[in-house]
Amino acid sequence: MTVQVTASEGGIPHNTIMAVGLVGSLVCLYLTYANQFLNAEYAAFFGGLAAVFALLWGTDTIKHLCSYGIGTGVPSAGMIAFGTGVIAMLLATKVETVMPYSAPIAAVIFGAIVGAVSGWIANSVLKMNIPVMVRSITEMAIIGAIVLMGFTAVMAGGFSFDTLAVQEIAILGPLTMPSYAGSLLGGCLLAVSFMLGSIALQHPFNACLGPGEQQDRTLMLAAECGFLSMIVVAVISFAFVAFAAAMLSLIIAVVGFVYTYIRFIELSKRDAFAWLDAKPILEPEGED
Amino acid sequence: MESVLFGIGVTALAGALATIAGAAEDTESNIGSQGDPNSQVQLAPQMGYIHRIYNKAVSGEPPAYGLWVTISAGVAWAFMVTGMNPVLALVIASALAIFVQGVYATTAYLGRTASLAKFEQPVYIDVIKSVTTVTMAHAFVAVFPAVSMCYLIIAALNHPFPLALLGIVWGIALGAAGSATGNPFYGKERQYQSQKFGAGVPISASGNIVRYAEAGQRSSLDNGWFTAKLAGPASGICFGLIVFFELWRTVLFESAAAGWGAIIAGVVLILIFMIIDRYIEVWARKNYGPYKSESAEEVSA
Repeated sequence: MTVQVTASEGGIPHNTIMAVGLVGSLVCLYLTYANQFLNAEYAAFFGGLAAVFALLWGTDTIKHLCSYGIGTGVPSAGMIAFGTGVIAMLLATKVETVMPYSAPIAAVIFGAIVGAVSGWIANSVLKMNIPVMVRSITEMAIIGAIVLMGFTAVMAGGFSFDTLAVQEIAILGPLTMPSYAGSLLGGCLLAVSFMLGSIALQHPFNACLGPGEQQDRTLMLAAECGFLSMIVVAVISFAFVAFAAAMLSLIIAVVGFVYTYIRFIELSKRDAFAWLDAKPILEPEGED
Repeated sequence: MESVLFGIGVTALAGALATIAGAAEDTESNIGSQGDPNSQVQLAPQMGYIHRIYNKAVSGEPPAYGLWVTISAGVAWAFMVTGMNPVLALVIASALAIFVQGVYATTAYLGRTASLAKFEQPVYIDVIKSVTTVTMAHAFVAVFPAVSMCYLIIAALNHPFPLALLGIVWGIALGAAGSATGNPFYGKERQYQSQKFGAGVPISASGNIVRYAEAGQRSSLDNGWFTAKLAGPASGICFGLIVFFELWRTVLFESAAAGWGAIIAGVVLILIFMIIDRYIEVWARKNYGPYKSESAEEVSA
């Protein structure tokens, strides 16, 4: 299990992608704080961009982890990222109520701790003995926490625990009352973010793996999955944030999705052996 | 008494919805070629067998259906919070989930096939055009009843879980039922129709899946036609029974022994099904003979 099979040579080094992903997603998460100074949650869409940055980074991490012969383990890698990430994310939103403006950094720190512990358990206690295991699981727990936080910011406009756990609902016209059942946590929308994020995290490499895998095509698919997931959370956000803000998130998600989807199809056309329409099976001419 | 009768009626309705969902789920995954039989579709070009079968490698069926049903449940919940009619909310939310499913299906086919360029497997655009829409239609038939069933459980049986949480639970269960029950029909029967019946899949036959039809070439739509006869209904009955017994025991026995009645009934049901399974296995071995040593080797290989 510890023989490394290199998926594709060349491309951008992993550390560069990690740096861009981490810094980009943290900057975007901090930009969502601008919501507090605007008259509506117009900055919510930055959460979706943070998720896209994190997913790009995560796709490359999964590629490194899964180059050690765990082919069918690719979807599981997405699940463990979010299983560990959700702990870090919820803890960070609670820290936010004590220390304002700390949630994104706290999510990274808690994610690193939870990820390192579960990576250590997988590698040393369960004896998987994969050299990049601890580092990869640590990275993925951070990614999971950032993506969940980003999607939460799109849906609710912020990520302090009170924003997520209480929603003002209108009763008898002008009167409102706080309700847990109508809130983001009460509606269990974290389950939606969890599934959206974990499938979006594992899909790009899972879909593109094979001898002809190319980094630019895989990363383009990662961005496409991020924007596609953002469309769904933007639609859900109509229940929580102002109409104009939700519309802005939706438009940005759709534009990003259409662009990356078309680019991905172009890159697939570039890499494919042939691009045929209504043609019969071409039997191979000879073994290479 | 009336509330129990009402509960049993809702249970039957939920079971019926689950049956439809299960049947459509399995047919969808076979048309799209998802789940474990897809490993052979993926392997075939590497062994020199170029084919026109769809290659929908999103993930295993349980996580994939977990996602489609959870999207549908979460979006429907958000629509209902804003005051939309529940039926309309469920339909629109399911349509959005199916849009996501369709996009994932096309990117999986394009990505996997483009990465197989070394083995001269071309991308067939007409396969994408004709098959993706059919899997999307079947997925809608699977996702809409599943999420309607979840809504019914909350609205009529007062289940305490929010819709999205029930969506993730029953979505994963739906995918698991279709994957466990239906896939043998597609993977072992359909893909290896050219092999001797009961021969297993020897290593030498790996990747040699059925690619040609009686006349012309197989497409994934033919696989849907083949598996819709037995695999789909079998998966539907499996998932329908799971949902029906789960709700039935809760409705009837929850009031007994401070809630423990439902748990005891569940354990008894599992024991009964274990006895039935064991009986069928022994009966099948007795009637179809013991495993021969050469086929035993092939199974272990």
